[in-house]
Parts: sequence; structure tokens; C-alpha cells
Amino acid sequence: MIRFLIKGLIRDKSRSRTPVIIVTLGVLLTVFLHAYITGFMGDTIELNARFTHGHLKVMTTSYAENMSQIPNDLALIEVGDLLDKLNEQYPDVKWVPRIQFGGLIDVPDENGETRSQGPAMGLAMDFLTGNSGETERLQIEKSIVRGQMIKKQGEALLSESFSQKLKVEPGDVITLISSTMNGSMSINNFTVAGTVLFGAEAIDRGALMIDIEDARTALDMYDAAGEVLGFMNSGFYNDEEALKMAKTFNKENNISEDEFAPLMMSLSQQGNMGQYVKLTEVWSIYISMVFIIAMAIVLWNAGLLGGLRRYGEFGIRLAMGEEKDHVYLSLIYEAVFIGTMGTIIGTAIGLLLAWLLQTYGLDISGMMEGAAMMFPSEIKARISPSDYYIGFFPGLFSTVLGAMLAGIGIYKRKTSQLFKELES
Amino acid sequence: MKIALKLAYRNLLGAGLRTWLNVIVLSFSFVIIIWMKGIIIGWDYQAKTDMTNWEIGGGQYWHENYDPFDPFTFAESHGTIPEPLKKEIALGETEPTLIVSGHIYPQGRMIPITLVGINPEQKILKLPTHMLDTQITTIPAIIGLSSSRNFKLGKGDNVSIRWRDVNGMFDATEILITDVFNCNVPSVENGKIFMPLKKLQEMVVMENEATIFTFKNEKTEREAIEGWTLKTKEDLTKSVDDLIKTKNAGQSVLYAVLLFLAMLAIFDTQVLSIFRRQKEIGTYVALGYTRREVVVLFTVEGAMYSILAAITSAIYGIPFLIWQANVGWTMPIDSSEFGMAIAQTLYPVYSAGLIITTVVIIVIVTTVVSYWPAKKIAKMNPTEALRGKIQ
Amino acid sequence: MTNFKHMKTKISILFSIISVISYSQPNADEILQKVDRNMSSENRVFESEMTIHGRRSSRTLTLRTFSVGDIKSYTEYLTPPREQGTKMLKLENQLWVYSPSTDRTIQISGHMLRQSVMGSDLSYEDMMDNKKLTDIYEAELIGNEMIDGRNTWILELTATTEDIAYASRKMWIDTERYVPLKEELYAKSGQLLKRSTLSDVVLIQGRWFPKTIVYKDMLKQGDGTVFKITSIKFNEVIPEYIFSKAVLKQ
Repeated sequence: MIRFLIKGLIRDKSRSRTPVIIVTLGVLLTVFLHAYITGFMGDTIELNARFTHGHLKVMTTSYAENMSQIPNDLALIEVGDLLDKLNEQYPDVKWVPRIQFGGLIDVPDENGETRSQGPAMGLAMDFLTGNSGETERLQIEKSIVRGQMIKKQGEALLSESFSQKLKVEPGDVITLISSTMNGSMSINNFTVAGTVLFGAEAIDRGALMIDIEDARTALDMYDAAGEVLGFMNSGFYNDEEALKMAKTFNKENNISEDEFAPLMMSLSQQGNMGQYVKLTEVWSIYISMVFIIAMAIVLWNAGLLGGLRRYGEFGIRLAMGEEKDHVYLSLIYEAVFIGTMGTIIGTAIGLLLAWLLQTYGLDISGMMEGAAMMFPSEIKARISPSDYYIGFFPGLFSTVLGAMLAGIGIYKRKTSQLFKELES
Repeated sequence: MKIALKLAYRNLLGAGLRTWLNVIVLSFSFVIIIWMKGIIIGWDYQAKTDMTNWEIGGGQYWHENYDPFDPFTFAESHGTIPEPLKKEIALGETEPTLIVSGHIYPQGRMIPITLVGINPEQKILKLPTHMLDTQITTIPAIIGLSSSRNFKLGKGDNVSIRWRDVNGMFDATEILITDVFNCNVPSVENGKIFMPLKKLQEMVVMENEATIFTFKNEKTEREAIEGWTLKTKEDLTKSVDDLIKTKNAGQSVLYAVLLFLAMLAIFDTQVLSIFRRQKEIGTYVALGYTRREVVVLFTVEGAMYSILAAITSAIYGIPFLIWQANVGWTMPIDSSEFGMAIAQTLYPVYSAGLIITTVVIIVIVTTVVSYWPAKKIAKMNPTEALRGKIQ
Repeated sequence: MTNFKHMKTKISILFSIISVISYSQPNADEILQKVDRNMSSENRVFESEMTIHGRRSSRTLTLRTFSVGDIKSYTEYLTPPREQGTKMLKLENQLWVYSPSTDRTIQISGHMLRQSVMGSDLSYEDMMDNKKLTDIYEAELIGNEMIDGRNTWILELTATTEDIAYASRKMWIDTERYVPLKEELYAKSGQLLKRSTLSDVVLIQGRWFPKTIVYKDMLKQGDGTVFKITSIKFNEVIPEYIFSKAVLKQ
């Protein structure tokens, strides 16, 4: 009988094509939107992850305790070995060393005397090995206002307003006065490669970015790093996973005994981020729920309409001697078929669209004045496992429910009445 | 046109349940869009209110050398209270604050910090400055929650601070943390210690001097005072505007999808009703309607969904939105887990402009979507239609 | 009875000692002047080791210094390799640091003066402090104390001007050699901020000189900084170009 029904559906385009298209569209929207909301809501988390927290962060125990002061004297040492170990143990996470530091930028005049000076906040990361993904991660390229990216050792990026304050142009030499890991004064020259916009006033006032190897030389931090950040290869923060990794890592390293032993923290364990992660989860669920319910009503409506318009046909079928139960059941079977078809196609297309938006992102930088590192210049979707089945709720259940409700009419009305509906 | 409206109305009501399902979905869009926009506006409003309450009041005068992002400027950014402000200060309409840099030594680590002197009796900012109004031998001080965590200092703890007076002479003492406050505006508390203004002025030998003046009321016209820069509320809340802009951009996609969803329902209904009502269309034409007029009739019918939806949403939406504005949108999170009670409630704010634009946009979009399938009617052969033959 | 007699003699001896001391006790300013005469010289050339105890490790730097009075001084770092060639020149109230790797001379001024010297418990400002103590403090003799078997006078110095870093100091001066053995720096509130202890007092070219100084920032955790003079010569002939900015770039 099912084969017969399917044949009927396929041959009668008005019974199959339009309803399937509607269910497909509905499911597509649900899946896409769910991925979009997850991505959109997680955006602030990812922004924080990229800049400071990582999805995971490894520091020494004592550095972690004083994290807000960026105590480089308590930095991790033998980072090369640590990275090897981390890469082996957690291959699904990209580990990158970073050094944050404070200092003073001094700009010389033609005689080498100080022309201007200003306090700087420094961030050192791997610009040059080419496999850290750091420049893409922080969308530095897009945020460049003047000049270009750091291309070789000894180059630096300054925030645009800082460069204006110091009156330096790309190509000029600046001197960084900072203190080494041991507290000695360190003086190092850098060539300004370019200027960037972060988009947050506090940072734009005095930010400096250099390659991590330069920072290690400058700050006497050979094979050391303040922090090692871990980024999940999926590109998105997964709290459960992160907490698990941190727990096992810390257990193995027996952190309680040595204040300089590496300690791993998930993003949610740092500062206020735990609060934010929870908040985002709850928000995403609420917004998704609202949409799924709305979508369910639409598809239920469509299912109902699909049933109602066929009252005339039911009349004929009943007149020909078909059982009411059989007519009703066949209506439900058809709805199941349409719902399933629509859901599968819709989920597939929805996932494809979500994947496109996850991979390429939607550029919204046009809506803002220029791109900035601290503001997401694009909106990205994020596909989560639930996207694979979430479409069935509105797609299949609502369609079938609609058909079930519409079908009740078969029992309520007389055959002749149904038959008459064909005429109207 | 009047007949078209009447007819459309009758047709819709006659269709019963089918109509109401569409109307409900569409009204959902109304309420959700208005609510979500309201939340965003409410967020904007709340962020600014919090800033007003905790940090900026109705605007400020800054000492011309003061730069909050550069603590090195603090040494040069203080001055005697200017004459024009003295009366307001006496009335409590303006509060002076003095900002100097110093060091704190929690657990023997030397950490740079900003010392803020504030009048314990002030009423402009929500800071619990009354906790500074105690008679103890050590200097009372209050800090924010995140400073409390960073420095591992709690209420009742003593800690050493060191600073230099106006002449550069070192001074150091113990302070007693008399309160730890929780505030949504991070810049208020980050790296700051609040202590009684008179005490700080004494400590640094800056009698009657201040760095910032905060007004209670947002007056439009403020005179320029030499040596001081006027910072209006607008200047000080610019960062909030920037943030809201990105959030709005992200949300517009949600609105688009929500609208698309409602339109899917309308479109579906329109296609179906035109398919089912061919005889009716034929009859209209036979009765002397031009085909264009029939198209208008069906379009009006579709567009009327949005009108009905607007009315429906008003019936359940207005109480809902008012209720939301009063109780707010609270995140159901157990905040005790984090040892704090951050306000997780956002109160949506709706404006007439928001409601009118939403309604107009939805009505226009619905009309367009209704017209789209209806224009097929214009191509129908009336005799065939009258016979009910599917075309 | 015998006990009582004993006690009596003891007391009388004690009394006579006290009277001798109080009789020979000079006033505080005189003590400071004698200290000054002993400690300062026309000029000096010395090599020293500075050991900085960090939270994690300790490290030692060696330096060569030429100085004239309290006004001019020139220091060159000899080791470790990282600091080698770094030079510091102090002339009156100005301080320059030269870094060989960047070939730049930076003037240390303003808030930079408050930074610590090479991570030690000493700030550049402490180093720059070259005002004569008798000019800015009023000294008072407040007692005696034994330090490491040496008898000392305790001087209390109270600031007479406002624009100096430390409101008061305490100095423990060896009563025979006129060498300070301990010094404490206080904040206006009376809180102890820094303490230095001087030891290894040796006779060099007719002067008593403490070869080891331990500086400690009392508010900070840690073991402080040890400054040890390995060789010192007084009243050498120092060519004038040593104290010019041009010397930094050589």
C-alpha cells in the first residue's frame, strides 16, 4: 500500500510538490536558523577566546593566580616540549604560545634622541612560521589601516591611534622599553610594518603586536611563553569537552605540588567567562525554541491545509466504498512521507547553507565604519549535532499532526457532504 | 475598494480555522520582532543607565590632562575645585573625585592601582560609599568584585598600599576593605580602590583638589571652565552605541527569517485558495469584475491577514510586552555558582516608532507576498475558471 | 651578701661605662659628617656583583662603575652576555641608558625612574638620590644598639623639605669606624618601606668601607638584592670623557 501511495504522490504533483517544497523550506529555515543563532550567540565567546582566553589556556599555576597582572616572571618555560606534549595528547586542538607584556614605546628623532613616548600593551604571537593560524584568527589582515602585515623578524604592528599619538608611519623605527622575565630593563628596536584598528578604545590607545620570537628575544624568555592557548579545530568552543581536557591534564601534571607546573583552564574557568558561556547557552535555547515553535505552527498549518483541500477526493473515495479508517490512515502515511522527504531535503540544504555561512561568514563590516579586530566583521553560523535532527520536529511531527487534525473531518462529515466539497 | 475590503474580510472570517492559523503565525512575528528589538533597545538603555548610575552621572568635567587609559597622566591631572562648581558641590548636585595612582601589595606582590577619592555621603553614584563613613584607625576602602578576586581580598581584610604625595614623597599605610561591591560596568571597578575623598586629599596633600566632577543632572548647557574638559553623557556612552550596532546587525537576520517564515504561511494559503476558488474567480468576472479587480480582491484578502494579525497580536501581545517590560527577561541561571548575583535581567523598552515601523513593514511584505500568487488570476480564462477547471 | 657586693660592683661599672659613652657621644650631625668623610671620596672606580633573588631563580650581574662624588657616575655591565655593553650615565639629575643592541640612548625620566634597576629591589630613583643627607634631613641620635658584635649609634633623620622620597630614615652607625651598618627608609605614615644592611667592612686605602649591601623592599615578598663590591679604588684619575653622553655609544 505504501508503494501505491508514494506512486500516487509522485504522479500527482499538486499533492506532493508544493507540500514537500513547503516542508523543505520550513525545515531548511529551522536548521539554518538554529546554526545561525548558535554561531551568532557564541560570537562574543569566540572573540574573547581569540584574543585572551583561548578555548583552553595553559599557564603556570602561579601565573594563573595572578593572571590579571600578566606576571611574565611566572611564565611557562620549556614551551617547546610542552607544545609537543600537548599536540600529541590533544590532536584536535591547535596550541599556540602567546606573550602579553607591558612597556614603553620610544620614538627617536634624527639624532636618536627621544621624540615621543607612550605606554604600550604588547601582544606577541606566532606571525611568521605560517602554521599557527594566528593572523587569520585575529583577522589582522582585514584590520590593517596603513602599511602591511608583519613579514619578518623585527617588525611590529601598532594600533592606529597609538601610531598617530606617537606620530609614526609604517617604515619608521620605534624602540620598545620593557622588562625581561627577570625584571631587567630591555630595549629593542622594531620597524613599524603597519597600523591596525582593534575597535576597543582601551586597546587602541596603546597596542603593539610583535612576533613571539622577537618577544622572546626582547624579554629574555627563551623557549618561554606567558600562556599557551588552545583552539579547538572545530573552530567553536565546546564547554563540556574543554572542561574534560583541563581536568585530565591537571590530574596528570599534579599541579598542586609545583607552583610553576603547567595548569590548564577552560575558557569557562577564566574570569567571568563561565557566566557568559552559561548565559549564551540559555539564550540560544530560548531563541531557537521560539523559532521552532513558530515553524511548527506554519508547517502544521500547511499540513492541515493539505488535508482540507482534499475533502472532495475523500468523498469520492468513501463513495467508492473505501473505509474511513483506511482513507484517514492513507492521509497520515502520505503526510509521513511528505514530512520525511521535506525534512531530509530541508536538513540537507539547511546544513549546506549553514556550512557555507560557517565557512565563509557573512560580511557585515559594511554596516560599521571599517573593520576592527575586536568587532566581528562577519557573522558566522555554527553547526552543532542537534542541527541534524532538529528539523524533524517541525518538518515531520507538525506536518503529520496537521494531517491528523485535517483528517478528523473524514469522520465528522457525511460522505455526501465530503463529496460535495469537490464541487465547491 | 470598499467592497473589496468588505468581501476580503468576509472571505477570511468564513474560512475559519485556516485563517486564524495564518493570523496566529503572523502575529507571532509581530510580537517576537517587537520584543527582540525591545530587548536590544532595553539593553542599550540599561547599559547606559548602569553607566549613569555607577560611573558618569549626568555628565562630567575632566581635568584637561586626565586620560583614564594612561595612569601616567594622573600625576598631572588634578586641580583646585573651580569657583563655578562650588555651589553645586555644596548642594550635592555635583561630586568631585580625585584620582591618583599608587601600588597595592596583596601577598607581597607589587601591583599598580588607581586610588579614587570620593565623598562618602555622595548620592549621585550607586557606589556603596556610605561604607567609607566609619570611624576606624585604618583607612576604610571599598573595591569591586573583580578586584576582590584579582587581589584575593575580601570584606574585612587589611592590605598595604603605597603612594606618593604631590611632592613625590613616599607614603604607605594599611587600608581596611569595608565593602566589596558588585557592578555591571567593568570600567568602574577595574584596578581601582575607593576611599574617602577628604582622606585621599590629605594623603597626597591636595587639599580641595579633584580630577573629575560628576553631575547629578544632565543639563543641556554647561559652561566651559578653563582647565577642565566637559564630557557629556553622549561622549561617555559612545562605546555602548558601537556595541549595540553590531548586535542589531546580527539580529536583523533573525527578523528576516522570522518574516520569511510568516510569509511562507501566507503564500501557501494564497496559492491554495486561488487553486480552490477558481469557480469563485470565474463568478466574479462573470459578474462584471475586471480581472485586475479580482487580483486586487485577493491581494487585499492576503494583506488583511497582517491587519488581523496586528489586532490579534495587540490582544495577547500588549499584555505580554507590558508584563515583560515590568518583570524583565531573566536568565534562568544559578548565579550562586559563581559566587555573585549579577543582574541577569534585561528590561525591554519599546518605542512608538519601533511598533509603527514593524507593523508597516509586515503589512507591506504581506501585501507583496499576497499579490504574487494572485497575479496568476489575471492570466486565467474566465469561462474555464467558471467551470472550475484547473488551469 | 657576696652576691649583693657583686651586683654593686657590676652596677657601678655599668654606670661608669654609660657616663663614658654619653661623654664621648658626639652630636648627630657630627656623626653624619664623619660618615660622609669616610664613605665619600673625590672619585672611585669599582667593580661589583649584583645578585637579584627572584621568585624562581637568582642571577648575578657584574658591573664596572666610575663615579665622582655623588654627582656623576658611569656604569657598564660586564656580564651576563645579555646585559654586556649596556651602559648607564648619571649626570646631576639626569640618567641615560644605552643599549648596544639597538644603539639607542634613552633618557630615564618621569615615571620610568620608578622602575626597578634590572629587576632588583632598587629603583632608578633610589640610585639617583644624591642629595646630601645633612641638607634635607634633621638628624637626631636616639640610642645605641649592637649589630654583629659592633656597637652602633642609631640616628633618626627627619625630612626638612617636602620634595623628597622618604619622610624619615634610621641609620645605624658603627661607633668606631663611622660606617653605616643598617639603614631603614620610612614613609610619611611611619611605615617601613626599605631596609639595607651593610657588612664586610674592610679597610681600603685608609678608609673603612662596607663591601656588601643587601637591599630589601619591605612591602614586597622576596629575599632582596645583594650588592657586593669586588674591587674598589679611590681617587683615581678618571678622564673627563667618561662622563659625557658620547661615551655611551662607544
